[in-house]
Amino acid sequence: MSAQSTETPVLSVRDLRIEFPLGVVVDGSSFDIARGQTMGLVGESGSGKSMTSLAIMGLLPKEAMTTGSVRFHGDELLHRSDASMRRTRGDQIAMIFQDPLSSLNPYYTVGFQIAEAYRAHKGGTKAAAMTKAAEAMDRVRIPDAVGRVRHYPHQFSGGMRQRVMIAMALVCEPDLIIADEPTTALDVTVQAQILDLLTEVQEMTQAAMLFITHDLAVVSHISDHVTVMRYGRTVEQGTAEQIFSNPRNDYTRALLAATPRLDDAVDLPEPILTNGGE
Amino acid sequence: MALYLVKRLFAALIIMLLVVFFTFVIFFQLSPDPAASICGQTCTPERIEAIRYQLGLNEPFFTQFFTFLAAIFVGRDYGSGASAVHCNAPCIGYSFQTNQDVLQGIIDRLPVSVTIAVGAAVLWLLSGVAAGVISAVKEGTWWDKGAMMFALAGISLPNYFVALVLQYLLVVQLQWLPFPTVVPFTDSPVQWFQAYLMPWMVLALMYASMYARLTRTNVIDTLGENFMRTARAKGLGRGAVLIRHGLRPSLTPIVTLLGVDFATLLGGALITETVFGLNGVGRYAYDAIAVNDQPVIMGVTLVAAFAVIIANIVVDLLYRLLDPRVRVSSS
Amino acid sequence: MSDTVTPLLAATGLIKEFRTGRKEVFTAVEGVSFDVHRRQTLGIVGESGSGKSTTARMIARLIDPTSGSIEFQGEEITQRSGAALRDFRSGVQVVFQDPYSSLNPRHTVEEVVSAPLRYQKRKAAGGYRRMVKAAMERVGLNPDHSGRYPRQFSGGQAQRIGIARALIVEPKLVICDEAVSALDVSVQAQVLELLVDLQRERDISYVFIAHDLAVVRQIAHKVAVMQKGRIVEQGPRDEIFDDPQHEYTKTLLSAVPSIEPRWDAGRRT
Repeated sequence: MSAQSTETPVLSVRDLRIEFPLGVVVDGSSFDIARGQTMGLVGESGSGKSMTSLAIMGLLPKEAMTTGSVRFHGDELLHRSDASMRRTRGDQIAMIFQDPLSSLNPYYTVGFQIAEAYRAHKGGTKAAAMTKAAEAMDRVRIPDAVGRVRHYPHQFSGGMRQRVMIAMALVCEPDLIIADEPTTALDVTVQAQILDLLTEVQEMTQAAMLFITHDLAVVSHISDHVTVMRYGRTVEQGTAEQIFSNPRNDYTRALLAATPRLDDAVDLPEPILTNGGE
Repeated sequence: MALYLVKRLFAALIIMLLVVFFTFVIFFQLSPDPAASICGQTCTPERIEAIRYQLGLNEPFFTQFFTFLAAIFVGRDYGSGASAVHCNAPCIGYSFQTNQDVLQGIIDRLPVSVTIAVGAAVLWLLSGVAAGVISAVKEGTWWDKGAMMFALAGISLPNYFVALVLQYLLVVQLQWLPFPTVVPFTDSPVQWFQAYLMPWMVLALMYASMYARLTRTNVIDTLGENFMRTARAKGLGRGAVLIRHGLRPSLTPIVTLLGVDFATLLGGALITETVFGLNGVGRYAYDAIAVNDQPVIMGVTLVAAFAVIIANIVVDLLYRLLDPRVRVSSS
Repeated sequence: MSDTVTPLLAATGLIKEFRTGRKEVFTAVEGVSFDVHRRQTLGIVGESGSGKSTTARMIARLIDPTSGSIEFQGEEITQRSGAALRDFRSGVQVVFQDPYSSLNPRHTVEEVVSAPLRYQKRKAAGGYRRMVKAAMERVGLNPDHSGRYPRQFSGGQAQRIGIARALIVEPKLVICDEAVSALDVSVQAQVLELLVDLQRERDISYVFIAHDLAVVRQIAHKVAVMQKGRIVEQGPRDEIFDDPQHEYTKTLLSAVPSIEPRWDAGRRT
């Protein structure tokens, strides 16, 4: 925390409160993310972690009321017009979603969908944008990227589709990447690859990252700092080291205890290995 | 792809055969004696017998059926000697009441039905889809509620009622339109247009209502898709998000519907054509029903069924072009 | 001695083929064999497309195997139908992944939980209500809520309803098909604990299908690892987890993230 804290953070969220007609979903969330750093936002369903990300992107439904402040490079993002927000969205702040299949439009090629993100912000010809798309796909190590830009989402495997989503997020070289449960829908072996890829991409681009997940193990692998949320409130915040080695909050502790571990030996009843009764 | 087409065409052929068979059963076996209706009121048993002989009605059922089937490919002679009438292949029947080859009768009237169908389709497609999209985007607003109420009315109101009300309003009361009289387009485009305008509107109202409701549902479903959120997260404008990402998935299923509805209209808009005095295929059938001219009724039924079957194949092929998921997995 | 013991459930050479085209056949499960003893849990792990769910459905007799045998209490059940199949079903129940979509939303909890009793035409003195309430109580639900509908419950509670429905016929074997995958971790831990308690209490056996290896470690006595329709390795839990032999098992285990912050792993330089 020490070295980065003097620099203006890429993202600075203060007292963010999101209220829907049916209730408050985020109540006083505050955190900073510096260049090249990852903030892990952990919580169970209903904790408000995804709402926080949508608030940053300006993608909350109309009926949501937000107060507080979300500053990006020092500029306030909350309550900006959609047109002005649109210039930032996808360009300086990019988002990766949970389910890559449903997050890609089945009617368009992946190349088109990546190029679209590029052209929306950088302009240029379609052909130039397509080249950029192929480059981005190559950067996330999709084999034969130049050939595969013309393929449709359903022609990719789950892991490759998520790589496409990451390529789409990277194509404009954003300063902030918001990843909302990006590995939850994937198989474990694929999840490991995607986590490695995200770490690598971040080291390369030095983008700040907000990583949202319900999985403490995943967050422990990727985050520098961790915010634990429950029912819209931040229950604990700290460096990954502090949260995982010395959690102070009871809920954090309970969550850690509940996370199943590979090295845990649990006592189970003895199987009955005789015929008939005991 | 070629194999698929061959398969589809083969299946279509079998369906056509079944349609021919069942139409044949229904018209020649279950309805009143066609000979009697041809013979008219001043009829003698001898004349009926003669007509029955001429039409082949005294033959056993399957002989009649195969004669009918063969006529489609090789043509047919009704009766023999001087009174014999020849019907050229493809022969789907001969009307002794109008003394005309049924297929020729349909072909003569087809341009009117095609004009009605094309004009109505353009009208309903534009208005229905537009209303549906706007309703979906403005879901829950007064526009949405109003449009959907209107659509519900459009579906519920009987065609002839709408036709009569429209005629009363536009022709009699407001006098915006003259009483429709069909003239060839080349004679007077204005009068031609005036003659077809009301039939188009009547048919379009019903179909547009259906299309508006369907479009609305599809667009609302699409708006909730994750890829719409992705499109917005990319920083695309609302217009690009809606038109590029929202409409294509929503409208592709409409294409399927359009093909079949259009084909159905080619088989004649019975009521609309009759109310507005247009001599299309529907009117042909209507007149035939009035005098129990069975070959005509049956011929129109067959042609209508044929149009729908062909439309289904065309629509399927089109769907493959429009939806990459179907296209790629089948090639 | 254990060689002569008849397992509760024994599957031998199970194969399931699906027809995908006129001549193409997709083999989802390719010769799978395993057994489960009384009061024992077999964990079947694998990634998507491994055939683990297809295997679960075959042993529950929800789909028919293309070939192979399934013996329950020493009797072949793959050919059973009618009353004999119903008899088998009273011994084997299934708990599915999504608690909401596997519970009829228009039925009250009482109707949902008592459904297996009705299906098996069980007679109960004093009606099913008492049994339903007992089952609800056992799985940690308030028995007074038996008139409510599934949607009125949280995900964890809804899964408990699913477990109560499985328990009500006092089955010998419960097949859990990703039964805790959709639940939040804290709820997941509670449901796992409940399953283990029930096993201790009632000598239930489980076939526990999951993609999450860490979860399987919490509940299974022995583990079968599936990949592309085959069991690549199976054995006692600790052997599989601590000393995996097959390459795929090793890959799978090494891919599971454990709680170890990267400051600790020294990945940042």
